[in-house]
Amino acid sequence: MAKYIGKRLLRSLLTLFIIITIVFSLLRLMPVEGYFQNFEKMSSTQIRVGLQQLGLTDPLPVQMAKFWKGVFQGDLGVSHKYRVGVSVLDIIGGKMPLSLSIGLCSLGIALLLGLPLGILMARSTRTRWKIGDRLGTVFVVVIQAVPAAVYYLLIQFYGGRLPGASMFFDAGRPATWLLPIFSLALGNIAYYAMWLRRYMVDESNKDYVKLARAKGVPTAEISRKHIFRNAFVPLVQFIPTSVILTLMGSLYVESLYSIPGMGGLLVTAIQTQDNTLVQALVLIYAAISILGLLVGDILMAILDPRITLGQKEGGR
Amino acid sequence: MPNKDAILSFEDLEIHFTLRGQILRAIRGVSLDVARGEALAIVGESGSGKSVFTKSAMGLLDANGSIAGGHIWYDGKDLAAYRTEKEWLTIRGKEIAMVMQDPMTSLNPLKTVGDQILEAVLLHQGLRGEAARQAVLEALAAVGIDDAPRRYRQYPHEFSGGMRQRVVIAIAVACRPKILICDEPTTALDVTIQAQILDLIKQLQKKLDLTTIYITHDLGVVANVADRIAVMYAGDIVEVGRCEEVFYDPKHPYTWALLSSLPQLGVKGQELYSIKGTPPNLFQEVKGDAFAPRNPRALNIDFVERPPFFEVSPTHKARTWLLDPRAPKVEPPELIRHLRQQGGSRHV
Amino acid sequence: MALFRYKDSKTQALADHLNETAQRQFTQEELFQFAPYDPDAGERGGYSGYSYWRSTLRAFRKDRTAMFFLCVIALTLLFTFLEPLIPYDRQPNTIYYTERAEINLFTRQPVLDENGDPVVKVSLAKDLAPGKEFWFGTNTIGQDLWSQIWAGTRNSLAIGFAVACVDALLGILVGVLWGYVRKLDFLFTELYNVFDNVPQTLLVIIISYILRPGMGTMIFAMCLTSWLQTARFVRNQVVIIRDRDYNLASRCLGTSTWHIITRNLLPYLVSIITMRMALAIPAAINNEVFITYIGLGVPLETPTLGNLVEAGRKVMSEAALRYQLFIPVIILATITISFYIIGNAFADAADPKNHVN
Repeated sequence: MAKYIGKRLLRSLLTLFIIITIVFSLLRLMPVEGYFQNFEKMSSTQIRVGLQQLGLTDPLPVQMAKFWKGVFQGDLGVSHKYRVGVSVLDIIGGKMPLSLSIGLCSLGIALLLGLPLGILMARSTRTRWKIGDRLGTVFVVVIQAVPAAVYYLLIQFYGGRLPGASMFFDAGRPATWLLPIFSLALGNIAYYAMWLRRYMVDESNKDYVKLARAKGVPTAEISRKHIFRNAFVPLVQFIPTSVILTLMGSLYVESLYSIPGMGGLLVTAIQTQDNTLVQALVLIYAAISILGLLVGDILMAILDPRITLGQKEGGR
Repeated sequence: MPNKDAILSFEDLEIHFTLRGQILRAIRGVSLDVARGEALAIVGESGSGKSVFTKSAMGLLDANGSIAGGHIWYDGKDLAAYRTEKEWLTIRGKEIAMVMQDPMTSLNPLKTVGDQILEAVLLHQGLRGEAARQAVLEALAAVGIDDAPRRYRQYPHEFSGGMRQRVVIAIAVACRPKILICDEPTTALDVTIQAQILDLIKQLQKKLDLTTIYITHDLGVVANVADRIAVMYAGDIVEVGRCEEVFYDPKHPYTWALLSSLPQLGVKGQELYSIKGTPPNLFQEVKGDAFAPRNPRALNIDFVERPPFFEVSPTHKARTWLLDPRAPKVEPPELIRHLRQQGGSRHV
Repeated sequence: MALFRYKDSKTQALADHLNETAQRQFTQEELFQFAPYDPDAGERGGYSGYSYWRSTLRAFRKDRTAMFFLCVIALTLLFTFLEPLIPYDRQPNTIYYTERAEINLFTRQPVLDENGDPVVKVSLAKDLAPGKEFWFGTNTIGQDLWSQIWAGTRNSLAIGFAVACVDALLGILVGVLWGYVRKLDFLFTELYNVFDNVPQTLLVIIISYILRPGMGTMIFAMCLTSWLQTARFVRNQVVIIRDRDYNLASRCLGTSTWHIITRNLLPYLVSIITMRMALAIPAAINNEVFITYIGLGVPLETPTLGNLVEAGRKVMSEAALRYQLFIPVIILATITISFYIIGNAFADAADPKNHVN
């Protein structure tokens, strides 16, 4: 097990390294005005001198080496527009806890609501009219097909009128946390429900379920002891995706509700064209996504005894 | 009326499936008695309905299949009338247990082998706690798995195919059933393992006084284990008799063809015999003898009317017009006429 | 139906033959004489009349919801592309003016001229509710929403189709190479493992940030990684064709590779590509709306559904102007939901496992 996790960790680090390198190279192509506060008023000489000071005229490998040195020293540069001269890590660090708590809350709620919905739908496929399954499917389809950007808006608009709720976030008023967290969770609720339902239906057609029936295990018990457990394991591999979903959703939701978090920050950084800040945020997002993948794989290895032998049967 | 000596008795059983909007008549009015304590083999090619036939006695038909007519008598009760799960739970495992074809998929990959046997023990032996655990260990030992305490905690993927099949058998036996259905129990296994598994089942049958029903297309298996053979073709039993009767004195042209295609009868340098054509499409109503279109010795009446069972001996009967006194005398093919002589010297 | 009867014809021939034999009146002696034996006759019985495409279509047609949305989307698409032919001469980007009675700001009464008639002033036709003159009303700068919405739908669909096509093309090309050339397998798999980890939205954001915003940028950014999944899928299929036992067995029996490809690979591939294309369109529209919100969308002179939703969002708080959000949202949702449902229903229908009922 330890060997497997070590291997996965190494691979994640490699992936992170490659992604950061690529992102870094790509971002060298960014428009240069994003490095200066008052670009319009500067002469071309001033710009050149400014770029030289920032080390942006150096050859790419040199820049890269400097950047990596910075990363290991915990220095990702300073903001040029958003808050001039302030270290981007300080800016981000101040906003991360809020984003994290909102993100984790929404993931928790997604599991809490998504799994029962999935089970309900899977059970309902065996009833005569499949009402639960049909209603659940309508929900899943709407959430998956309609752009999140659109239903977030509608939730903010109509939900904002509920007693206690507000169209804007206020960290001190717990009721104002509900709408953004719920909005963020919706995508994942649909996602978990859909896959759990599908896996449960798949599992229930497998031979070992037939054998369990043949040995006289009641349906409800088969569902609980065999099908749910086995359908739940592959679900773990969607944790990374749902982390990414939450991250990307948070960009929108945070700026929509004026939540002073990381997601809203990226939108602001893009709109104000603060290159260093954009770069740092993109790197952090990439790192979180990869961390999500790693966590998913490790959980999978813990839950599925077959994985450690490296013979991943079935799966996705 | 159910036969008194039979433990399980099928009477005019009809099973239909709905497939792509059409009705498929998988079993077409089959009657068969299974005697207490015997080993019966149901033989037929893939799709002949042998598996569906036995599954119906456990209420394990797929969702699109249903019993459309007839009766399944067990212990004075008509299983064909069972509808609810509660009713079937009095039969499944408790009275009739099953060993399935593919041991690689018939165990839950995420539960330890011991737990899966334990499930059966708890359900059917009324034991709890340490006693139940001991029963599992005994079951493992009984199917020839050494080092039972260690094996108890292992997962199916740590077992080989043959070992897994032993586990499946252990589960079936741990239910303490009266009837054991073995659905192609050795098809997915290596040839070397097959004999061991068959021996094991035979042994357990004797020890636990079981009635066993084998479902197979492998006549080699049949010759090894069965007391009686029922030959199934296109959802109907065409010939049934004691093992030696069917092997040495077959009456139905399909049985002839089946026996002729035994690879053991092949002559070096000559092509093996194979039955020409394919079984009929059961979406359409079969008229007369289903095998007639593939039968070079078919009579005109085979296309017109379904043959009744003609009794060859009190234990042997066949559904073919060739046994009608009016029919011309037809000898079985040359190839299988010498089975008896061969059978005398070595096993088929 | 006659079109599809081909495979059944053999079965039919047998049935006819059997019926004929059965109906003939035999005498007692004749009944027990040997029937003519035709070795081919036995071959005819086994056809169950299964045809992959027929069963797929059948399964799809049975899905009434999917059929309904297929009609919806067909009508919407037809209308979207025929809309320019409708005699309604407003342009999406023209700013319209309208004549309005001047209102005195203090008294809120119409201003009258010396003849006692209301003074008519030409002003920007902004924020006009849907009506006779402007069918879907106008937006805050006086553009006609009806023509904006249909032009926007066309543009958004164009983005979606472009992404879907690149997705399918690149996906198949790379996937076949990946699966077929054994040497590349390891390299490609490792590369896939790395790049599949990059959140697509993040990538689209970076690309849009670096390049000049526009339709081209948008399509490029979305195409960059979306084909990876398709390639992976195609690769798996190719490997299956190459290595699976039943295909090996099939080859041993003398089935040509071409036959395996056309019979086993192609139908499944075509159906999966169709499904992915159907699903790529709502995903692309989804991304577009999101990117537009962040401020990296297509410039406003190119109307897209994303631009329209974003414009509507800005005036959302005013009840009278909410139509500017709701009309584009309804059309957008209709399109994405339809494609999504059709794509999934088709995927289900194309799966042979679902050809049972």
